Order: sequence, then structure tokens, then C-alpha cells
Amino acid sequence: MTKPLEVEGLGYDLPGRGKGERRKSRSLVRDVSFTVGAGETLVLLGRSGSGKTTTLKLINRLLEPTSGEVRVAGERAADLPVTRLRRRIGYVIQEVGLFPHFTVERNVGLVPRLEAWPPARIAARVRELLALVGLDPDTFAGRYPHELSGGQRQRVGVARALAADPPLLLLDEPFGALDPITRVELQREFAALEGRLGKGMVFVTHDVREGLLLGSRIGLMLQGRLAFLGTPDEFRRSDHPEVKAFMAAA
Amino acid sequence: MSPNPLSPSPLRCAQGRLFGRGGTPGRSRWSLGLVALLLTGCAQRDRIVVGSKNFTESDLLGEIVAQQIARRTGLPVERRFHLGGTFVCHQAITSGQIDLYVEYTGTAYTAVLKHAPVADRDSVDRTVARDYAQRFALVWGKPFGFNNTFAITVRRRDATRYGLTRISDLTRVAPRWKAGFGYEFLERADGFRGLASVYGLRFASPPTAMDLGLTYRALAEGKVDVIAGNSTDGQIQALDLVVLEDDRHYFPPYEAAPVIRQAAITRHPGVAAALDQLAGRISDAEMRRLNALADVEHRDIATIARDWLRASLP
Amino acid sequence: MRLWEFYARNSQEVLGLVGQHLYLVAISTGAAIVIGVPLGVLLTRRPAWRGPVLGMANVFQTVPSLALFGFLIPLPFIGGIGARTAIVALVLYALLPIVRNTYEGVAGVDPAVREAGRGMGMTDWQLLTQVELPLGFGVILAGVRVATVVSVGTATIAAAIGAGGLGVYIFRGVAVVDDTLILAGALPAALMALAADGLLGVAARRFAWRGK
Repeated sequence: MTKPLEVEGLGYDLPGRGKGERRKSRSLVRDVSFTVGAGETLVLLGRSGSGKTTTLKLINRLLEPTSGEVRVAGERAADLPVTRLRRRIGYVIQEVGLFPHFTVERNVGLVPRLEAWPPARIAARVRELLALVGLDPDTFAGRYPHELSGGQRQRVGVARALAADPPLLLLDEPFGALDPITRVELQREFAALEGRLGKGMVFVTHDVREGLLLGSRIGLMLQGRLAFLGTPDEFRRSDHPEVKAFMAAA
Repeated sequence: MSPNPLSPSPLRCAQGRLFGRGGTPGRSRWSLGLVALLLTGCAQRDRIVVGSKNFTESDLLGEIVAQQIARRTGLPVERRFHLGGTFVCHQAITSGQIDLYVEYTGTAYTAVLKHAPVADRDSVDRTVARDYAQRFALVWGKPFGFNNTFAITVRRRDATRYGLTRISDLTRVAPRWKAGFGYEFLERADGFRGLASVYGLRFASPPTAMDLGLTYRALAEGKVDVIAGNSTDGQIQALDLVVLEDDRHYFPPYEAAPVIRQAAITRHPGVAAALDQLAGRISDAEMRRLNALADVEHRDIATIARDWLRASLP
Repeated sequence: MRLWEFYARNSQEVLGLVGQHLYLVAISTGAAIVIGVPLGVLLTRRPAWRGPVLGMANVFQTVPSLALFGFLIPLPFIGGIGARTAIVALVLYALLPIVRNTYEGVAGVDPAVREAGRGMGMTDWQLLTQVELPLGFGVILAGVRVATVVSVGTATIAAAIGAGGLGVYIFRGVAVVDDTLILAGALPAALMALAADGLLGVAARRFAWRGK
């Protein structure tokens, strides 16, 4: 069975300054390889500037890789038209980015509508997802984003990412902007949800505890490379200096 | 109360300074200031302010008058040209903001004095001279020698095609034609309304109104078919246009002459003599030539005036 | 009052001039929207063009209106005396507020909203029509409002070049120093500007989005 995500030798070089021989390019991501199976969550951990968000954006081609290959559900990402690729990947960002002029229902149903699902199917799917993320559909479907709390908004964000039932989910520090109590609440619910969904997920965070809680595997990024890739237990026992630095801060 | 004869009056102090008879040093700054004040006050009365209407011919005549006064009397002349139309200039002169400008007898007769237009030249001349003196304390100088009447103008090819030589001929084509006029002509009693009524002109739609200067262009470009220009305009020949004859003598004569405030003449009798030298010096053709130099060849107005004065009044 | 007598006596002419004025403003504002909104959107896609395009629109705004009318007259095709030249000039005047506000309205959309939209697979066109334009509509409308009010005033100058409109009364009144005539033209123009400002202001407020 094809895995939701396969990444091989992924790289992203920025065209550098200077001319001729002195023209040096900067690598934000270098030779990153990993796979994510169904039901698996890969946590990309690292300090600011380590390349974890860049790697994420290389997967759904918000940034175009300069080297390497990405395969989503067996298809090469570079071969697919970019909008088709993205509609098959759920995307959740820290600021959520709900459309303020759409109701919760229209926000969640965005991709299904773009894919021209019949309205009845969209409505049913929206209700199902709102219940899944812990929001009562009757109460929340007709509300607008500005009427929701931060936590409620991100729940809608997750529901939106799941709407078209994509095989892969990308999450970029989704709980980073929430207050500590809400953050813990959502982390717990998310952990409970992960296994049931059967999807591949790449979860970017700089919070070690969150990573250890939610990841089936952890990939630690340092200066654009994967310094460590393994299970949470392996992470705790690792001798790698960067891993130790993170464990010390946990 | 007679002032204390022993304390020097400010005026005498000032005089003392001027004539070098000395005065107490402590008062010198004050008296100098007073002299300056008197001088500026005097300066306001010791110059002539010449105005003009907002078209080329008026500017040209205003400049000729201004230069003539300057060279003959040596008085400083201040120019306030291109003020506006007839009524703006009239207001300016009656309120003393200008001392003189060039007006046209027919315009004064109908537009300012609001009499119904008549074609008799002597009657018009007498009436305006009398009424202006009595009502406004304004004096008419002698006319320059040309008649700048309203020129109802059409394109030459239309004149040939429809056999148009007189304004009466327009009644044949008016229902299919568009007229274009300046704003003053539309409003004046001796303007469009009177003309249309006397000649029985009925156009397809109300005339298009625009800045007077643009009407020639509009006519040449075919945007309108008939305009009311000025008979001495320089552009008539240049644009291949034809002026129609005023066969029913609707328009009064429009002789150009300087109009000047009585007070200014009284104070500076030399000005009257200077203006008289210009009497009868400019014919219709000559005015048209000068206008063409400005409007068609785009020469500088001050230069045109200076050259003309040197040639005509050496 | 003399003004009401004037209106009563010349009702047909007054209505005709009001109609001409509305025509000048409506056509020119409409054209400015058709040209300006796409141009403003284009500026959000091509940031390098922002400086030159906004700079040029700014230059047109600073040229005194009568001078702009005068410059256009000698040009072939779009020039000459009459309503067409006036409309060209009015379009040029209306461009800056409309282009600039369209740019601000679209560019001012929350970047997170744009990123989420793109990340979920919206095409550029879908993003523009379903997200950026609706969210920016209030700001765009505010630009249209400014353009319209300016046009009503500037259109009075159009009478100098034979384009008709309420300016005809104003110029006639100035030529013969008649206050009633001047007011007869100025009053409806002022009322028109106030009405446009009010109506579009209400509409702009309705479409302003609270928070993003």
C-alpha cells in the first residue's frame, strides 16, 4: 500500500548574493528524507531557523524544492498541478487563517465546494467534522470566525483541513498561538483523534513536550538537515547534543 | 484746539528732514516712517492701473494703452489684464480697482446700460458718453478707429454649399445645425437671444456653451456649425471661415475706445492727451493683423504693442 | 427667492444640465472602475509596478483640472471639444483613489488568510474573487466614493470645453457677474456631491469587515 508521504533528498537553496564565483547560495533545507505511513504522525522538531517550516512548505509546494523528490500517496508532487496537489493535503497553520466573511460551515466546506461536491454531501460532512473536533454543529455552523475564541477557531481550522478527506495533513505549530490551558486541551483531544483518522501527518513544533506527546516519530532538524529521526523513546535516550539540548529544555 | 506752537508738529519734522534744515535727532526714525507712509499713500494715486478683458484683442489694446501712457507721461503703469468679461471689468473700474480699460460702445450700450440694441452709431456714442459720465463718473476717450462687431461665422465650404452670405440665410439650415457660443454671448441682451428672435433662428438643440476662445476650434473641427466670433479676430482667415453679413442690422456698432475714471483724468491730465494720440489709428484690417500676430503666430503681446507704437507714433 | 423662480422658469434646461452632469460623472466613474480595479489588483501581483503606476496616477491628480482639459484638447481621437474629452480627463482624475484603494484593500487582507487559501488549493483567481475582493470591497468602495465626489466637482469645469453640465450655469454667471446663475449651478452640484458621498459612505460601512 502506498504511503501518504515519501520524501527523498529534499533540498531548498536560496539564490545567494554576490556575483560569479563569489555567488554562494544558502541552503535552508538539505538532503532531508523520511516517510510517513497511514495513522502515523511525524513531528518535525527544531529551533527557529532550523528549516522545519520550510520543509513543510516544500511538501505542498508553497515553496518549490530545488532538489529531491516528494511523493504524496504514491504520486510525484512535482508532476501534479499544484492546486490538485494541495487539495489532497490538509493544511493547518498557527494563525488559522479562517475567512472572516465566511460562516464556520462555509469555511469548513471550502475544499469540498472547490471540488464541486453536491451541497447535501458538503453539509453532512461539515456536521460530521464539527462534531469530531468537539464543536456542536447546531451552535457553531452558522457563526462567524470573529464570534469564536482562539481555541474554537483552531478546531474549525482542523475540521477544514480534514473536510475533503485528504490522505496527508500538514500542521505548522497549530497550537502555538493559544493560551496554555487551551493548548493542553487541544493537544489531548488531538492525540485522541490521531489514531482514529488513519491519515499521515507532519506536525511542526518547537515545543518538545508537545512533540513527545503527539508524535509516533520525531525528526529533529538542525541547520536544514535531519539530525535525528526516531521514536519518542529513542529520542529520550539519544546522545546527540542537539537532542540533549532539547531534552534539557523540556 | 491749536497745537502748542513750541512743540514741532510731526509733518514739519518730516519736512525739516527732507529739506535738510535739521530736526531733533530723537524724532528722526519716527518722521522717516511717516514720510514713507505718506509716500506710499501718494504712490497709490500716482500710477495708472490698466485692465483688460479675457481675450487677445483686449489684452493687445490694454498693452498699447499702457505703453503709450508710460512713454508719454512717465507715470508708472500697473497692468491687470485678462480679468474676466465685460461685467468683471465694469465692476473693477467702478469700484476703483482699475483706472481704465478698453470697452466697446455697443457693449456698453446694451450689456452695461441695458438699452435695447440699435444700429445708429451717433445715438449710441452720445448715450454711452452721457450715461457713463452721469452714472459712473467714467469718461470715454476717442475711438481707435475700428468696429469689432459680433461675427456670425461659418465654415467656408458650408457657406459655398448652402449659399450663405447673410445671417438671414441661416434660417434655411438652422434646424439641422448646431450652434456654439461663449458664455457672455449667451447671457447678454445683445447676444444670442436677441439675435435668434430678430432673425427667427431655430436650432435643432440649444447652443453648446464653451469658453469663447475654443469656439473657433470647435467650428473648424466640425463640432459646431456656427459661432459668434469677433469680426477682427485673427483666426477667421487662418481657419478658412466666412463671416455672415448682419443684413437686418441687429448688432449695434462696437467701436473700441478707452474708458477711464474721471478722478484719474483730473489728477493726470497728461493721460488724456496720450490717449488722444491713439484716436483713429487702428483700422479693422490693422486690428485683424495685430490679432493674427498674437493668435496665429503666437508672438508676445508686449512686443507686438511696442513694435506697433514705434511704427505708428514715432 | 430668485433662485427658485429661476428653477421654475427654466425647469427643462435645469433638468437637462443635471442629466448631462450625471452622465459625465457616471460614465467617467464607471470607466475608472473598469480600468482602475483590475489595475489595482495587478499591482498586488506585480509589486515592481506599484511605484510607476501610482506615481503616474498621482501626477494626473496634481495637474489643475482646467489645465488637464486644455492639454487633452489638441490630442487626436480622445481630444477635441466636448463631453468625450471631459470624460477622459475625469477618468484620469478618478484613477488614483480607485487604483490605490483597490491595491490597499486587496493587499490589506490578512496574510494568514491568503496563505491558508493558497495552501488548501485555491487558484489565484479563486482567491481573488472569493476572498481578496470581497474582503477588500469596503476599502475599494471608499475609493470609489472619493473618486465620485471629486468628479462631481471637477465636472463643473468641463463646461469650459463645451461638455455641458451644471458648470454651464456657473460659467454663465461668472461671465455676467450674476450670483443667482452661479448658485443655480453650484447648488445642485454640491447636493449631488453630498448625496453621492452619503450613499457610498453607507454602502462602504456595510461592507467593512470587522477584524480579519
